[in-house]
Amino acid sequence: MGDEYSTLFRSEQMSLVQLIVPTEVAHDTIAELGELGNVQFKDLNPDVNPFQRSFVGEVRRIDEMARRVRFFANEIEKEKDLIPIRPLYDSAPLVTVGPRAAQTIDELDVKLAEHEARMSQMNKSYKDLSDRLKELIEARHVLRETAVFFDRAAARETEVRPSLDDSSAPLLQHDDREHQYSAAGDVQLDLEFVAGTIDRTRLSTFERVLWRMLRGNLYMNYIDIQEPFVDPETGVETRKNVFIIFAHGDMLLSRIRKVASSMGATIYPIDANADKRADSMREVTARLEDLQIVLYNTGTNRRTELMTIAESLASWQDVVAKEKLIYETLNLLNYDVRRKTLIAEGWCPTRDIAQIQLALRHATEESGTNVPPILHELRTNRTPPTYIRTNKFTEGFQTIMDAYGIATYQEVNPGLYAVITFPFLFAVMFGDIGHGFIIFFAALLMIMFEKKLAKADQGEIFGTFFFGRYIILLMGVFSMYTGFLYNDIFSKTTHFFHSGWTWPEQHGNGTITAASNGHTYPFGLDPAWHGAENGLLFTNSYKMKMSIVLGVIHMTFAVCLQVPNHIRFNRLSDIYANFIPQMIFLQSIFGYLVVCIIYKWTIDWSKASTQPPSLLNMLIGMVLSPGSVDPDSQLYRGQATVQVILLLMAAVCVPWLLITKPYLQYKEMQKTHGQGYIGLGADEGPRTAEDVTLEGEEEGNGRAIVEANDEEHEQHDFSEVVVHQVIHTIEFCLGCVSHTASYLRLWALSLAHAQLSEVLWDMTIANVLGMTGLIGLVAKAVVGVLWLTMTIGILCIMEGLSAFLHALRLHWVEANSKHYEAGGYSFAPLSFARLNEKQ
Amino acid sequence: MSSSLPTLFILAIAVALGFVGWFTTPKGPNQTLIRTSVLLTLACCYLMWTVTYLAQVHPLESPKRAAMEE
Repeated sequence: MGDEYSTLFRSEQMSLVQLIVPTEVAHDTIAELGELGNVQFKDLNPDVNPFQRSFVGEVRRIDEMARRVRFFANEIEKEKDLIPIRPLYDSAPLVTVGPRAAQTIDELDVKLAEHEARMSQMNKSYKDLSDRLKELIEARHVLRETAVFFDRAAARETEVRPSLDDSSAPLLQHDDREHQYSAAGDVQLDLEFVAGTIDRTRLSTFERVLWRMLRGNLYMNYIDIQEPFVDPETGVETRKNVFIIFAHGDMLLSRIRKVASSMGATIYPIDANADKRADSMREVTARLEDLQIVLYNTGTNRRTELMTIAESLASWQDVVAKEKLIYETLNLLNYDVRRKTLIAEGWCPTRDIAQIQLALRHATEESGTNVPPILHELRTNRTPPTYIRTNKFTEGFQTIMDAYGIATYQEVNPGLYAVITFPFLFAVMFGDIGHGFIIFFAALLMIMFEKKLAKADQGEIFGTFFFGRYIILLMGVFSMYTGFLYNDIFSKTTHFFHSGWTWPEQHGNGTITAASNGHTYPFGLDPAWHGAENGLLFTNSYKMKMSIVLGVIHMTFAVCLQVPNHIRFNRLSDIYANFIPQMIFLQSIFGYLVVCIIYKWTIDWSKASTQPPSLLNMLIGMVLSPGSVDPDSQLYRGQATVQVILLLMAAVCVPWLLITKPYLQYKEMQKTHGQGYIGLGADEGPRTAEDVTLEGEEEGNGRAIVEANDEEHEQHDFSEVVVHQVIHTIEFCLGCVSHTASYLRLWALSLAHAQLSEVLWDMTIANVLGMTGLIGLVAKAVVGVLWLTMTIGILCIMEGLSAFLHALRLHWVEANSKHYEAGGYSFAPLSFARLNEKQ
Repeated sequence: MSSSLPTLFILAIAVALGFVGWFTTPKGPNQTLIRTSVLLTLACCYLMWTVTYLAQVHPLESPKRAAMEE
């Protein structure tokens, strides 16, 4: 592997670098590095709380600006149909680096504040006006509806007998009463009432409360207001009723008013006099008209203001987000007031250091000073972050593996192999030319319109499929290949080559058996099996054996991937303490099974002297009764001896795995103790420092090494090693058995897929194929559409998802457990590009 | 007569193709990816084909079906 280019095989080699940045260029340097996006800064002031950091003021100011920008965005969001936000790539860039940077930010700050003040002023007046408008509308309703009551009352005035008693009149003054009686005729009907509006849902409660309060002496009228009131802010509709309550006496009236206001009703003063009511109706209508005009104008102004804001909102958002990130990063740096420099430490890929140097120089030129930041590498024994460079093709596959766990630094990355093995194992379960072509075609479409689709908002579900488009593409390709081998196209069959079976002439109604004609169908399953009564019997045995073969080979491959790790991390003892016994164990039992499967296939049993043995019974017999093989059903001569030897080899591997590693560890420890070193870093052995290292420490690079000591070191206790190894051994040995069995899911799923697609065909299209004439044509069209929908919905999407999950599991559990440590943490560089992704 | 030998023949072809793939991969950032993919693809496809072929060389079962009524 050349070291020239980064590969998926291992994560990038990382360096811990120290940057010494003069204060004048600090901002621009960080901005430049953010554009570059490959430095992960370390927090150098972990003890300082967030409020005491050097750039708190700036961060606060940017936060305030961000709040304003968010406020604008929300306002625009409410009316997004009317106001287009100009996209970022279309807006004029706002330059925030260089000598004029501070001024630009100041100007932006002022501009944002002004806009905000104007916006909130407008919002406030808009809201006030809306409230007034609402009140007026309600008042108009009350006036209009109560008029009905009054009119009715007026019409019946003659029938109404006014109260004979003045409440204060003495009972015995008959003259007065007579006098009053005559006067009542020309006095206006004296009705006392309360009128207003109330939420319709509360009306019944309101009425009940009043009923109780007035002891049933309630005369209340209400009418529904037809149109709902819409709250302009929340958009919630409320429906209201106009009510009018007639009562007598100031006490009662005031109590009714109290109840009404506590129930959230609004009371409007209405005059009993019809003329006055007409006057106020006119007045209300006039004011309503005025208000509507004012409101309309305010709305237009507000919209114009929002339009202006929307023009540059995207670039403001961008600038504010970037500035915030820059100052937050600057807060991580060590501020040396005396020397007027900032000291930064961080991880970066070793191969990018030259690029970073270039960026630093560029930042210096930009800012117009001539003190460049200084970068130098630090020595450290901390574990660097894991950084695997991906492109749009490999990204999806890598995400699958990252979801299981981030690779340990520089560990062999299974994501590289998953690029092929994942779609392949998927295809074994999904083999069908037709279905494969459908998903291949779908992925191809997504890839062809990649750019257009990437820009559009995709939604969560489609977004997931779009993200995995290259995985789906390969899954489709491999499914077509396995479909050819299974000889399945939408559950039908293809017939390209000369079949190996000849059907005899038909005689009578019995079952006919095809005779072998000496050919073997060269590519895939012989079409003669299609539709044969015992077809399932054959594919069953074939697919089961195939899944065992593929499974054992996949696991063997996974075990082999340990070796590059052991070599890379200089754990050569692990090769013979772990890798070799594991390999022997796996091969002597399951490797042997695979060899037997293949051997059994190559024998022509019609000419052999013995019966073909059952391999399953053979494997069980090998473990349960070693050394005895029934000569009638033996696979080859000397089978018993070979199997005993293999079993012994496997048996030896268990204690080998169990003991070797702890023993080596123990010896290592003894050696260290023997040399007089105690405790400290027992796992690393005695520290053999080279001169260069020591020199470096003298020159002030010691800092990183000193710091490394406060990182938590796992104390590799001896007992811990023993426990770990015991678990590892048990896990591996039991795992070999259960994982091999687990690969049988390939068999089960591929059979299920084939059966399901056959059932679908038989239940839909097969029924209408025989029909003729117009009805047949219509039936074919309808059933064809149904069949296609179900093929895509059930067979391609649902079955596909299930096969995807099973392939995922085979990779995560069966393969990864054999070699993948996944103990790393991922590289999270300061990057403006990621910022945009988040938005 | 059918025999298992073609699988070895195809194996030779697959290995040869693997070598061709290995040496013709252009240098570049994706070299490792392409090489790995080519080799794994060949291995997977070959395995699957071989298993299918071998399973049919000396079949223990013959296909049966009900005779159509004429």
